[in-house]
Amino acid sequence: MDLYGWFGKALRVNLSTGVIKEEEIEKKLMMDWLGGRGLGTRMIYCEVPAVCNPLGAENKLVFAAGPLTGSNFPGSGRFSVSAKSPLTETIFDSNAGGTWGVRFKRCGFDMLIIEGTASTPVFLSIKDGAASLEDAGKLWGSDVFETNHKIISSLGKNVSVACIGPAGENQVRFAAIMYDGHRTLGRGGLGAVMGAKKIKAVVVSGNKKIRVARPEKMDFMVYESNKRIKANPITSKGLPEFGTPVLVNLFNELGVFPSYNFQGSQFAHAGKISGEAIAETIYAGRQGCYRCPVQCTRLVKIGASTIAGPEYESLWALGPECGIDDLTVIAEANNLCNQLGLDTISTGVTIGCAMELEERGLFKTGLKFNDAVGLLRAIKQIAGRAGIGDLLAEGSRRMADKSGFSQYSMQVKGLELPAYDPRGMQGMGLGFATSNRGGCHLSAYMVGPETLGVPKMVDRFSTDGKAGLTITRQNINAAVDSLIICRFINLAVSEECFARALSAATGFDYRPQDLHRIGERIWNLERLYNLQAGLDSSFDTLPARLLEEPIAEGPSFGKTVELKPMLAEYYRFRGWDAAGMPTPPKLQELELEEYSC
Amino acid sequence: MLKDFQKIGRDLFLSGLNSSHSGNLSVRYGDRIVITRRGSMLGHLEERDLIETGLAKNDSKIILASTEIGVHRAIYKGTSALAVVHAHPVHAIALSLLEEQIIPVDSEGAYLLHKIPVIGAEDTIGSKELENILPGLLSEYKIVMVRGHGSFAVGQMIEEAYQWTSSLEQVCRIICLTRGLHGELKEKRLDKFTSW
Repeated sequence: MDLYGWFGKALRVNLSTGVIKEEEIEKKLMMDWLGGRGLGTRMIYCEVPAVCNPLGAENKLVFAAGPLTGSNFPGSGRFSVSAKSPLTETIFDSNAGGTWGVRFKRCGFDMLIIEGTASTPVFLSIKDGAASLEDAGKLWGSDVFETNHKIISSLGKNVSVACIGPAGENQVRFAAIMYDGHRTLGRGGLGAVMGAKKIKAVVVSGNKKIRVARPEKMDFMVYESNKRIKANPITSKGLPEFGTPVLVNLFNELGVFPSYNFQGSQFAHAGKISGEAIAETIYAGRQGCYRCPVQCTRLVKIGASTIAGPEYESLWALGPECGIDDLTVIAEANNLCNQLGLDTISTGVTIGCAMELEERGLFKTGLKFNDAVGLLRAIKQIAGRAGIGDLLAEGSRRMADKSGFSQYSMQVKGLELPAYDPRGMQGMGLGFATSNRGGCHLSAYMVGPETLGVPKMVDRFSTDGKAGLTITRQNINAAVDSLIICRFINLAVSEECFARALSAATGFDYRPQDLHRIGERIWNLERLYNLQAGLDSSFDTLPARLLEEPIAEGPSFGKTVELKPMLAEYYRFRGWDAAGMPTPPKLQELELEEYSC
Repeated sequence: MLKDFQKIGRDLFLSGLNSSHSGNLSVRYGDRIVITRRGSMLGHLEERDLIETGLAKNDSKIILASTEIGVHRAIYKGTSALAVVHAHPVHAIALSLLEEQIIPVDSEGAYLLHKIPVIGAEDTIGSKELENILPGLLSEYKIVMVRGHGSFAVGQMIEEAYQWTSSLEQVCRIICLTRGLHGELKEKRLDKFTSW
């Protein structure tokens, strides 16, 4: 196949049989689903039974690059992993930057499918076009940093390692896949899927040239996009100087910065842990992903060590969510999660839930708010499934269910909520409730229109028009996750540029409207899968606290999420019936009839 | 302060000096700057559209600030201005595409502005190049045109910077009108102010 932007090739690895084979990916599949999340969704839908055990042999892991991965387009050095999530039981994708995606694609593949279960621990090594399964007996039990170090020491610096730590090995339901040392495919417990399959790591090293169909046009789009990134204060000043924690003070002032397991919508000590505070105290440098001019990753100095600093979400989950206001403790907890291979958001919110249950005298967890020692101990216990950690490792929903007080679990579809109180951002509430992967802020990313004015500022307290806006954002973001481009680049560069860059890379003409349609198809296919998995419209909701308990004070005073009317409008707008099921005419319009439930 | 911003913002929009979402205004308070929000509608400013951040130092509010925050800051650092108005006056933009400088041909324009420099840059939006060039010119002139982009005016108060913006557009409309009439100007201020 003579393709540009894609190789049109997948690598299929069966861990049960040890068989590794190359497969061709039809051109139409590439064109329709692009790559990343789109291709992953389509593969999981077709190959993984919706009702299977996510930690069983039937589940598969799909690693996928996008058509822009490895190009010069800013923020495009990304890859994604899809599977059925052991935390949410939904179809799930997670994408990330760094170097792994580019090195994988340079091996000459767009997609890697890992299926079956190994009898003993293995790791997969892919060098250019050749792949082999290697014994990982000596790596099993090692933490993420050790694993990374051992593999790089043995195979050389030009490899990128995606691996799991003890949390993944122990099938903690929110274990992360870690790569490039501290970088994370955090959400949804995809690390537990690797652990269940006994695959410790996927190591890639490739040198194949990624061909661009129209180099001059691509150069122009890179130039234009970089111009916008340089001009926009978010991408040229805020993120480079403060990293994602730039949001702390801003959201605290708006009264949408949750604290103490969402009991509060502000944190009294936000100033001590803000982006500005990091810059003035523990900041030690910054890093970025492949070809990214923003460089938003913080490096921080703790004692004699320089480590990756916490992102906004991690800082919040391991800080205000647990009542912690000590930057050093938060940075240590974040580093510990990275080392053990845990999703920081789910870890913090599960611990926060355990703290509230204990403090209310409802369930013994031995954890209390503002207990730094308890926080660090609990993280280790979760990763090792030791003591109370074994229950916490199941995630906040299962833990709270066991306690008999489900209402204290701050999650949607089992995925713990991130650092935004949706009572002060109605569209964000709808986005959380309807996200196909659960309590996810990135699916709709209503942060943009409701707080940052991207593309335009809307009234965050109003429900008017939020259904349509949420849907539009969900659709386009699903396409962007398939290209794959960083959400932060999207704050400065619009889909107009993305469509042109995609056309330049592949040689096929895409319009912005095509990206919306591709995204809508992905969204609907994910929905169909979740419905088959048993997640009906009753799962499109929020924790009772956000629907019934008005915010007690501050700029968002008196607000709850007015979900019901937004949700009804959302279903209608999507072309779904009142039960949230895509209707036959909608599936026909999207040419998805063959996938109907 | 909000009332001042609303009044000037609305006038800028209604008099066609800006389109619905273009242009920005700022004032300096010591080591702080208050600037309009990125993408705000100057004709309909609300409290949430005024963003306060550091004059020299960024803080979290920077992510809401106008794209031209860098140029505004540079102007405050390099001049004694206490207010800056950036607008997109159409006649002035049209002339800036043809001229190296704009010399008023009417008496009020000549009296108030004398001469308006026109500068070009590769990137004209949120531009580092302009951050370097504009403060020097605005130390000498009240208002400067960036070719094909718009005007930057300074003042001790926001109304003053608005006045130069409004006057510039008036000057340019008159020039465009007189050129359209194809006659010879009876009074030539041009020569006098070329060397201003």
